[in-house]
Formats: sequence, structure tokens, C-alpha cells
Amino acid sequence: MSLIDTPLMRGLERVMDLSAFRHQVIASNLANIDTPGYRTRDVRAFAGEIEQAMNGGQAMFGEPSLSQISLSQPSHVQPWFAPVSHPIRGLLERPDGNNVSVERESLLLAENQLRFTVAAQFMKGEFHKLTSAITLGGSSS
Amino acid sequence: MNLFGMLELSGSALHAERQRAEVVASNMANAQTTRTPAGGPYRRQLVVFQAQRVPRFSLALAGLQRENSSAVRVAAVVSDQRPSVLRFEPGHPDADAKGYVAYPQVDPIEEMTDLLGAVRAYELNASAVQATKNMITQSLSLLQ
Repeated sequence: MSLIDTPLMRGLERVMDLSAFRHQVIASNLANIDTPGYRTRDVRAFAGEIEQAMNGGQAMFGEPSLSQISLSQPSHVQPWFAPVSHPIRGLLERPDGNNVSVERESLLLAENQLRFTVAAQFMKGEFHKLTSAITLGGSSS
Repeated sequence: MNLFGMLELSGSALHAERQRAEVVASNMANAQTTRTPAGGPYRRQLVVFQAQRVPRFSLALAGLQRENSSAVRVAAVVSDQRPSVLRFEPGHPDADAKGYVAYPQVDPIEEMTDLLGAVRAYELNASAVQATKNMITQSLSLLQ
């Protein structure tokens, strides 16, 4: 553990990564709102994904696992983490086979954006703490 | 994760919806057109949307192809195959031997509904672009 590479920072990084990925999936759903036959996709059980990402992030869904790659210094490499999206079941389907719900996607878009903002603000706070620790050690102020 | 890729994704939807609105405008403009280069009355046009997979570089590198997110594109613009409307106007230069003129099968209500749908979908995707921009700004503020 170093000054920057704390568990909190790592967790925040994962949250931001996952939020960005989910944002992409939601944007994709919204883009295909009029595409016949398109099925809504989402990251399965968002909280579960974060937990899995924080707990070491073992090789998920086919990305090369650490054991498959020979490393001189394993600690230099972050564990692979590749979330995937799945089609969501149980949504009302339109006659053209499309089941994108505007309400669901808009809500998720707002929620996901807030989640990202929270993580970004926390991370900013961490950096600020670090900066003040550095500058307070100086001769000035 | 590529935040800028999302802008591209929502942008594809903005492009497709705008094209749909253009086609609707063209249909309404030509509601009374009886002459076309192909001959005969104007035929109502329809856009066909298709989901298009966005390749992810990291997955392609690992030899994997996965359907995580898809952009949208206009696959084709097709003609409505419904028959033309015949109106009895013997004085019209395009009237047939019996005095009937073939007019395009364009229903203003149908077109307006389609236009409203396109505009709403455009707005929806524009707000998705706004959300993406906010996230990018948040990430950039980490540098300050």
C-alpha cells in the first residue's frame, strides 16, 4: 500500500469504471429506442458487480486471467476487470419486438450519473488531502 | 472505459433520428406530388433502423467479440408499397384515360405522429449526451 494506491482509491476507481460502463449500456439502450427487435441490456445486479470488482476482480467472462500471463512483478498489474451487459427480462415489449422503457433508462441515467459524481468528488477529496499534506510540509504557510 | 465512445453512440442515434425527421418532412412536402423522375406519383418513404455493434478494442485484442453496446444506424430508406390514392380530376395533366389522378398515399396524421416520435427520441438522446458531458467534466475536475 502506498500513498495513492489505497483501498479507498482503488474502490472509487472501480466504481467510476463500472459507472462509465453502465452509462455506455444505458446510452446504447436509448440510442436504439426505435430499433425494431432491440432488447434492453444492463449490467446484471450492479451492487454485485462492484463487490466482485473490489474483491480482487478475478478473471470474469473470458478476459485473460493473471495466471495465464507470466509476470515479472504481479503487483505492478491491476487485476483484469471486464463487466459485461446482459439482456434484461420482464420488461413490457412493444409489437415491434423492442422492449426499451424510456422511464427506466432515464431514471438509471440520472442515478448512474450521480453515482459517478459521488465517486469523482470523493476521489477529488482524496487528492486534495494528499496535496495539502505535501504543501503543509513545505516552509511556506 | 471510454467515455468519449458514449458520445459517439448517442451521436449515432441523433443522426438516425434526424434522418427520420428529414424523411417525414420530405413525405409531407411531397404529399401532392404526381410526377417523379422514376415516373408516377411520389411514394412515401420509410426509414429502417438497425442496431450496430460497437467493437471494443480490449475485447478484440483478447480475441473476444461481445455485444455490450450498440449504436444505431439507418439501414435503408424504403418506399411504402401501399397503392396510390385515385382522385377524379379530368382536367389534370397527369390524369389517366378515365380522368383519375394518382396521388401519393401520405397521411398527415401518420407523418406528424412519426415526426413527434423522432423529435422526442432526439431530445432523449440529447439529454444522454448532456449526462455524458457532465461525467467527462467530473473526470476532468480531478485534475484541478
